[in-house]
Amino acid sequence: MAGNAKSPAISARSIVKSFGTLRVLDDLTVDIPSGVTYCLLGPNGSGKTTLIRAIVRLLKLDGGELTVLGTPVSKVDSIYSQIGYMTQHKALYPDLTLQENLEFYAGLYGIERRKRDERIAELLEMVALSAHRSRLAGTLSGGMYQRLSLACTLIHEPKLLLLDEPTVGVDPRLRQTFWKYFEHLAEEGKTVLITTHLMDEAEKCQIVGYMKAGRMAAQGSPEEILRLAGLRPSLKLWLAEPEKDAALLRAAGYDTAVEGGVVSVRLESHAQIKDVLSAVSPLDTRLAEPRLEDAFLRLSEAA
Amino acid sequence: MASPARAGVVALRVIRQLKRDRRTIGLIVFAPIVLMILFGYALSGDMSGIALGLVDGGGHAALRSHLESISDFDILRLGSESDAEKLVADGRLDGAVVLGPGDVRVLLDASSLQIASAVAAAVQAGANAELAARGKASGQRAGGDAITTRYIFGYDLEMMDTVGPAILGLVVFFFTFINAAIAFIRERSQGTLEKFMVSPLSRTEIISGYVFGFSLFTVLQSATTLSVVTFGFGVPMVGSPITALLIVLILGAGALVLGCFFSNFARSEYQVVQFIPLIITPQIVLCGIWWPLQSVPEVIRPLSYILPLTYAADALRAVMLKGAGITEILYPDLLALAAFFAVFFAAAVLMLRREVN
Repeated sequence: MAGNAKSPAISARSIVKSFGTLRVLDDLTVDIPSGVTYCLLGPNGSGKTTLIRAIVRLLKLDGGELTVLGTPVSKVDSIYSQIGYMTQHKALYPDLTLQENLEFYAGLYGIERRKRDERIAELLEMVALSAHRSRLAGTLSGGMYQRLSLACTLIHEPKLLLLDEPTVGVDPRLRQTFWKYFEHLAEEGKTVLITTHLMDEAEKCQIVGYMKAGRMAAQGSPEEILRLAGLRPSLKLWLAEPEKDAALLRAAGYDTAVEGGVVSVRLESHAQIKDVLSAVSPLDTRLAEPRLEDAFLRLSEAA
Repeated sequence: MASPARAGVVALRVIRQLKRDRRTIGLIVFAPIVLMILFGYALSGDMSGIALGLVDGGGHAALRSHLESISDFDILRLGSESDAEKLVADGRLDGAVVLGPGDVRVLLDASSLQIASAVAAAVQAGANAELAARGKASGQRAGGDAITTRYIFGYDLEMMDTVGPAILGLVVFFFTFINAAIAFIRERSQGTLEKFMVSPLSRTEIISGYVFGFSLFTVLQSATTLSVVTFGFGVPMVGSPITALLIVLILGAGALVLGCFFSNFARSEYQVVQFIPLIITPQIVLCGIWWPLQSVPEVIRPLSYILPLTYAADALRAVMLKGAGITEILYPDLLALAAFFAVFFAAAVLMLRREVN
C-alpha cells in the first residue's frame, strides 16, 4: 500500500452527528492515511457526504474527535487554503467564461498572476477544456461543467482533496485521465478522498472505506475487502456429465455447486485452476473473478 | 483578517457577471428611465375626468357648448362665482369658468399646473371659436370679451420637483435590494457560497466584495436616473450632483446589505419578489415622498424614522432643491444612512452561516 507512515490526513474518533432523531454518523472511527487515493463508498444515506461536510466543518459534530491534516476540526478554517472541496453542486458561475471562473477561484486563494496563468493552462489541459477557455461556463455540457468544477477545485494545489462524486457525467476515456491524475497527486503526497457510487471507480482507489448506517463497515485495499467478504474466484465448467463430475470434485474436497447444468467450483487460489482442470475434462471453462460490488453486498448483509 | 484584495476578487467577479447580464443592465439603466417618465406624467396631473365648474351668466353660448363638448371635463353647473371659488379651494373642483355678458373669468387650481393649463387652453379655444362664429354672423371681425384668469392657490413648485429627488432614491433602493437578494439566492443554490465557506474568503470579504462591485452599477444607475429627473423633467439641481450621487451610493449600499440579509429568508428568486410589498412598499408610503411625515399617524411614525429612504429623500431634496452641501445633510440624514448600512452589514455577515444546509 502506498500509504506512508506519516500521521493520517484525517483521523476520526467516535464521531457522532444526529439530525433530529436520525443518527447520521454513529460513533464513527476511521483513519485516512496521507498520500493515498481513498474511496468512500456506501449506500445513499450511509453518511458519506455528512462525513465530508464534518471534515470541512460545514456542520458541527455532536461528539467525538476529528483532526484534519493534524489540525483539530474546530480550527480547520485556518487550513482551508490546503483543502480542495468539490461538492455535488458544481459551484461555478454560468455567466462567466471558463477562464474567468478559474481566475476567480485563483484570486480567492491569492495565487499570483503569473503562477495563476500557468496553473490555469495546466488544469484546462488536464480536463481537456483548453479549446473552450473563452466560452461561458453555462454553455458547457454536463460532463464539461463537471470537469471545469474539478479544475476550479484543484487550482490552489490543495494537500487534501475532498471530491463528492467527481466523475459523474464524465466519459470513460477522460475518467481514466482523472484517475491517473489523482494517482499522480497521491504520489506527490496529497490525499484524495472521493465518494462514488461506482464500484469500478472504487476498485481504482488504493483504499476503500465502506460506510453503512453512519459507521465504517469495512476498510482496506480492494483486495483486502474481497478477502474480508470471503469472496473468492470461481471456475465455471461446462461438462458432458455435470452431476457426475461435480460429485467427483466434491469428493476431492472442492467447494462445488451445479446450476443450470454448469458446474461452479470456488477456488482458494488461482493455483487450483490447474488441479481442477486435470481432474475433469470440460468442454468449456470460464474464470469468474469476485467483484467488489458482491463484497459490499455481502458485507452490508452481514453488518 | 479581512483582505481588501480578496474582496476585490469578489467585486471583479460581480462586475464581470453583471456586465454580461444584459437584461439586468437594461433593468438597472432603462427601467428607472421608464419609471421616472411614468411617475413624471402621473404626477403632472390626471388629464381626464377634470372637474370643471360652470357659472353661466349668459352671452357665451359658443364657448359654453365648446367646453361641454370636451369629454375630459366633467361639468358642474353652479349658481355663483363665490360657490365656484369655494369648491375649487376645497379641492372638489379642478377649476371653474364664469361666463358673464361682458367678460369671461377663469378660476384655476394652481397646485396642478397641467390641469390649470388644460382648462385655460380649452377656454381660449372656445373663445376663439366664438369669435369666429360672431365674425361670420356679423360679417366683420369683432373684438372678443376679456378673459381674466385667477389662481386660487399661489404658485408653487410642480409636484415632480418636490418628489423627483426622493424617487431617485426609491429607484436605486428598489433595484439594488432586489438584485442583491437574487444574487445571494444564486450563490446559495449554485453551491458557490458553500465553496466560499471552505476557502480563505471570510464572510466580511464576501459582503464587502458585493458592496464594491454593486456600487459601480449604483453610480451608473443614479447617473442615468438623475439625468432623467433633471434634464427630462427640469427638476432643479441647485446643489452638487456629486453630493446627490454620494447620498444615493450610501443608500444603495444599505439596500444591498439589506438584500443580502433578507436573502436568508427566501428560498428562490420568486420568493425575493414577495419581499417587495413587505420591504419596499412601507418605505414608499412612510418615507415622506407622497405624504408629508407630519401626516403619518403618530403610532407608526417611528417606523418612518428607521427607514433609510426617509433620510435619503430628505437629503436629496435638500441638495437638489435648496443647494445644501455635505455638512448640512450630515446630521441626521447621512449619519442615519451610514448607521443603517453598518447595522445591516453586520447582520448580513452574521447571517451568512457556516452551516448552509
